[in-house]
Amino acid sequence: MKPQAYSVSQINAYVKAMFAQDFMLKRVCVKGEVSNCKYHSSGHIYFTVKDEKAAIAAVMFAGSRGGLSFPMREGDKVLVSGSIEVYERDGRYQLYAKEIEKDGEGSLYLKYEALKRALLEMGMFAEEYKKPIPGYIQTLGVVTAPTGAAVQDIRTIAKRRNPYVQLILYPAQVQGEGAAESIVNGIRALDAHGVDAIIVGRGGGSIEDLWAFNEEIVARAVFECETPVISAVGHETDTTIVDFVADLRAPTPSAAAELAVCDVSELLDELNLRLLRLRQSAAWKKEAARSHLEQLAKLLALHAPFHRLNEKRQRIVDAQERLTVQMERKIADGRYRIGLLAGRLDGVSPAKKLSQGFVFVTDAKQERVGSVSNVQEGDLLRLHLKDGVIDAAVQGVTVYAEEGQKG
Amino acid sequence: MTEGKEATLEELFAEIDGILERMEGKDISLEDSFLLYEEGMKKLRLCNAKIDRVEKKMLVINAQGTLDEMT
Repeated sequence: MKPQAYSVSQINAYVKAMFAQDFMLKRVCVKGEVSNCKYHSSGHIYFTVKDEKAAIAAVMFAGSRGGLSFPMREGDKVLVSGSIEVYERDGRYQLYAKEIEKDGEGSLYLKYEALKRALLEMGMFAEEYKKPIPGYIQTLGVVTAPTGAAVQDIRTIAKRRNPYVQLILYPAQVQGEGAAESIVNGIRALDAHGVDAIIVGRGGGSIEDLWAFNEEIVARAVFECETPVISAVGHETDTTIVDFVADLRAPTPSAAAELAVCDVSELLDELNLRLLRLRQSAAWKKEAARSHLEQLAKLLALHAPFHRLNEKRQRIVDAQERLTVQMERKIADGRYRIGLLAGRLDGVSPAKKLSQGFVFVTDAKQERVGSVSNVQEGDLLRLHLKDGVIDAAVQGVTVYAEEGQKG
Repeated sequence: MTEGKEATLEELFAEIDGILERMEGKDISLEDSFLLYEEGMKKLRLCNAKIDRVEKKMLVINAQGTLDEMT
């Protein structure tokens, strides 16, 4: 007899219920390595947890992201806590992660944390030890692998920004046995040679790949380096011990080159700007001095003696003019009065009188004879008539009686 | 540092900025402003000389400090 046939939905619902009843699957912790890790734009993380023999699909929903405190990536050894449930639509079961931790006692993660704490306590991350990166470097040391993308990125960007900067590469081994020592040698060689700044770094990788940058000897070499060091390890999300010790941390090797090498065209612009300002302010100053000088010259001319002389001369001319005008007025006035007087005088003119038959008599002293009392017989007199004179001698003098006297 | 006591571009820029500030001030005499101008020009020439405008090839250094051309 055939067993009863169920629909797929019924079966999947049944299995889901079976899982749900299981006490252990409700709260389970799975240990393994992360692979196929995908960060979905919705915030969910889809990944696979695997060991040498098997794999299980896993998801961490966006709402549970608080349970993940590090950037989880391929190859990470992790402990995933959550539940195992059935996804009915596909008939698959998967691990629903609530919490993900780095795995293990003595893991690299814990070593990292321990060293970080120790160096922090020693003050090796302190701001006061950070050296400023010079604004305009001329030589740039690079400690990284000679073949990786990091050195190419640095080279490309440095050349684009300022091809006159001398790059000196220390071809270091950045991962595996002896990597830390190689990086330390590179830092020391470049520091001893003398460069303006050093970039220490490499491209992205797993925590194991980046491990050399978490070694104490590398951290110490960076700390003791006289030259400013820019760290550039992996991606933005990777933070190594060297990043904390370095004078400046760049998120990537490309960014490190951007930070270290100034843009030469900007630099030349800056130079030109200063040249212009210098010229302008000198020219302005000269102009100001010149105009000041002109002003002084004007003032001086205004107070110069010859100018004052001119002023006085002008006053003389003015006075002269006024004098002339006054004089002319006086003269005209006088003329007028003379005219008047002449008219009046004419009325009493002796000449007129003479023309009427009167005679004007003078004595020998040319004085007028006004009275007979001054004349004696024999005196010579001159009689003035209208048209000439007569010289006469006095033959006799008769004095009139009193009543006949006239002046 | 490669230059020893010689001023860096950054220091020169700061000095030039200081000179400019003084030159652009009101109370400076013409004589001083000429002197500062000369000094500023000298420093600008130094800056220019520092940017040597020769494209550099990447060099490689080894642990002994020997430099070599990148191959």
